[in-house]
Amino acid sequence: MNPIHTLSRRQFIKQSGLVTAVAAGPLILPSGLRGQNAPSKKITVGIVGCGNISDSHFGPLLGSPESIRILAVCDVDQERRDDSAAMVNQAYGNQDCKAYADFQELNRRSDIDAVFVLTPDHWHALVAIDAMRNGKDVYVEKPLTLTIEEGRALVTAARKYNRVAQHGTQHRSMKRFHDVAEFIRNDGLGKLDRIDVYIPPNNRHCGASWKPEPVPAGLDWDRWLGPSPWRPFNSLGYHYNFRFIMDNANGQVTNWGAHYLDIGQWAMNADNGGPVEIEGHGEFPSTGLFSNSTNVDFTVRYANGIPMHCRTRYEGGGTVRFVGERGWLDISRGKMSGSNNDLLREMQASGKKIQLELSTNHHDNFFDCMRTRKRPIADVEIGHRTATVCNLGQIVMTLGRKLRWDPVKEEFIGDDMANRLRRRPMRSPWALI
Amino acid sequence: MSEKKRTAKNPAKAAVSKADKKSSFGPTPDPWEACARLEYGADRSFAWSVREQVIKAPPEERARAEENLLKTLGRPGCTEAGRAFLCQMLALVGSAKSVPVLAPLLRDPKSTEAARYALAPIPGAEAAAALRDALGSLSGVAKAGLIGTIALRGDTTARAVLAGIKENPSEGPVVQEAAKRALEHLATAKA
Repeated sequence: MNPIHTLSRRQFIKQSGLVTAVAAGPLILPSGLRGQNAPSKKITVGIVGCGNISDSHFGPLLGSPESIRILAVCDVDQERRDDSAAMVNQAYGNQDCKAYADFQELNRRSDIDAVFVLTPDHWHALVAIDAMRNGKDVYVEKPLTLTIEEGRALVTAARKYNRVAQHGTQHRSMKRFHDVAEFIRNDGLGKLDRIDVYIPPNNRHCGASWKPEPVPAGLDWDRWLGPSPWRPFNSLGYHYNFRFIMDNANGQVTNWGAHYLDIGQWAMNADNGGPVEIEGHGEFPSTGLFSNSTNVDFTVRYANGIPMHCRTRYEGGGTVRFVGERGWLDISRGKMSGSNNDLLREMQASGKKIQLELSTNHHDNFFDCMRTRKRPIADVEIGHRTATVCNLGQIVMTLGRKLRWDPVKEEFIGDDMANRLRRRPMRSPWALI
Repeated sequence: MSEKKRTAKNPAKAAVSKADKKSSFGPTPDPWEACARLEYGADRSFAWSVREQVIKAPPEERARAEENLLKTLGRPGCTEAGRAFLCQMLALVGSAKSVPVLAPLLRDPKSTEAARYALAPIPGAEAAAALRDALGSLSGVAKAGLIGTIALRGDTTARAVLAGIKENPSEGPVVQEAAKRALEHLATAKA
C-alpha cells in the first residue's frame, strides 16, 4: 500500500503536541498538503473505511486549512471508527465528527459534500454510487472497482448525478509520472518498443487450511462481507489481507497495477480506451485462504501493436519502464533512472508540443474540481479504464488463454466465459442498481 | 461374502484394493465427489482441480463440465461450501440445462444465494423465468437481491410485478426500495 503521506491515527492521538499545532493552524504539515488555492468555500468530508489506507488521508485532510473539515467517519469495526472519530475531534478541538457503522446513514447527511471511499475493494462501487446518488462528490481509493461491470456502473452514476469522482491513483499527481507520460506522448523515446510494469509479490504466507473463528466484538462481519460471497470469519482474512482473497480483491494486480499500469495507460493516450489483446498466466494457490495469484505475468497489447507487460518482482517494489529506440526510462515513487542522463533531462524539460495536465497534489486537485465542477486529474472514466486493464490481466491469468478485447464495447471477442468474468453477482440485498 | 468373492464380482474394486494394499496412502478421492463435501477452511485442492477442469474445458466440452457440476450439486448431503463452489463454477459454464436444477435451490432460502450466483449470468428465457418465479417464494434481503439480479439482466417483462412489489407495504422497506431502484434501472434498459 505504501501511502505517500502516512500518519497513523494512534501516532496522531499520542502526539498531543502535534494535535494542538494542527488544530491551531496548518503550520505543521508541508505546504503541498494545505491546498494550493486558499479557497474560501468550506468543503465537508465523510470518510467511509477507517482501515490501513485511511491513514494516508487523515493526515493530509487534518492538515488542510479550515475550509476542509471531516464531519463523519464510518467503519464496520467499532474500534476503528471510534478511534478515527476521536482522532478527528481531538485534532479539531471539538466533538463535531460523528462515527457511523452504516455508510448509507453517512451518505444521507445533507451537510456532507464529499465522501472518501476507503473500504476493501468489494465495497468501492456500492458505497461510491450510493454517495453520488445522495449528491456527494467522491474520492475512491484504488483499485476503482472489483469488476469491469462495477467500473462502468460507477462512471455511469458519476455522469448521471453530475458528480466529481476522483480515483485514488496519486501517481497522476506526481510530477515525475506526469513528465514521463508527456515525454512518451511526444515521442521522446522515439518509436516506443514496449512498457514493462513490475509489481510487488502477492500473498503473505498462509497454510493449506484455516479454521472459522469467533467474530471479534465490535466487528460486523456480515456487513464487512457485504456483497461478496459469505464465508466464516478468520482473522487472517479481513484487514489488509483481504486483497489476497479473490472474493474481495484481485491481489497486487489491481492494488499496485492500478498505479503503474495507469501510467502506461496515460502514456499510451488510452484514458478512454485500452488494449485489444491479452495473454499471460498466473500461479494461483490451489488451497488455503488466500486465492489470488502469487506470481503475476501477463501482457496487454494496444491496437498500435505496443505491448505492456506486467510481472511480479520479488525485490525492488513497483515501477514502470518505457523502452524505445532512444533508450529506456524507469520511473517509480522512490527514484527515476534512464539509459542516459540526457533522456532524464529532456523528460523533465518544459515546452513540449503535447502538454498533459499537471497536478501536484491529488487531494487539492479533487477539492479544486469540486469547486470548479471540472473533471479531476484521475477522473472516474480514467480510473475505470485502468482498473479494466488490471482486470483483463486477472481474467487472462484465470483462464490461461489468449483473449481479444473490444475497448469500445467493453467485451471480450468470442469468449463467453471471459465475458461472464466481467461481473460478479452480489450477495443479498446488494445489487449494482 | 469373502473378499475373494467380492473382488471376483467387481474387478474395478479389486484393482483399487490391490493398489491400496501396496500404498501407504488412502485411495485418491473423486475430485467431483470431494467438492460436494467441501467445508469452509478445509483443504480445497480437489475443488481447485475441478475448477481447472471447468475453466480450461474447450467450448465443446463445457456441456459435459456443466453436467458433472449439476450431478455433484444433486448429491445428497452436499455441503453449503460445496454448493457455493459448484454454483460459482456453473456461473461460468451454466446454460438452460442448469435451470431446472437451480430453480428449486433459488426458491429455498438456505440455498438461494448460491443458486442466484449461478443463474444470474445464464442467458435466455429459462433462467429469466426462474428468477421471476422465485419472487413469490422469497422475502426480505434475499428477495431484494433477487430483484437486483432481475433488473441487471434487463428483464423488462418483470416491470409489472416489480411495480406491485414497490407499492406493497407488507414487503418491507428493503424489498420496496430494491423494487424502486430496479424499476428506475429498467426504465433505461433496452426493451
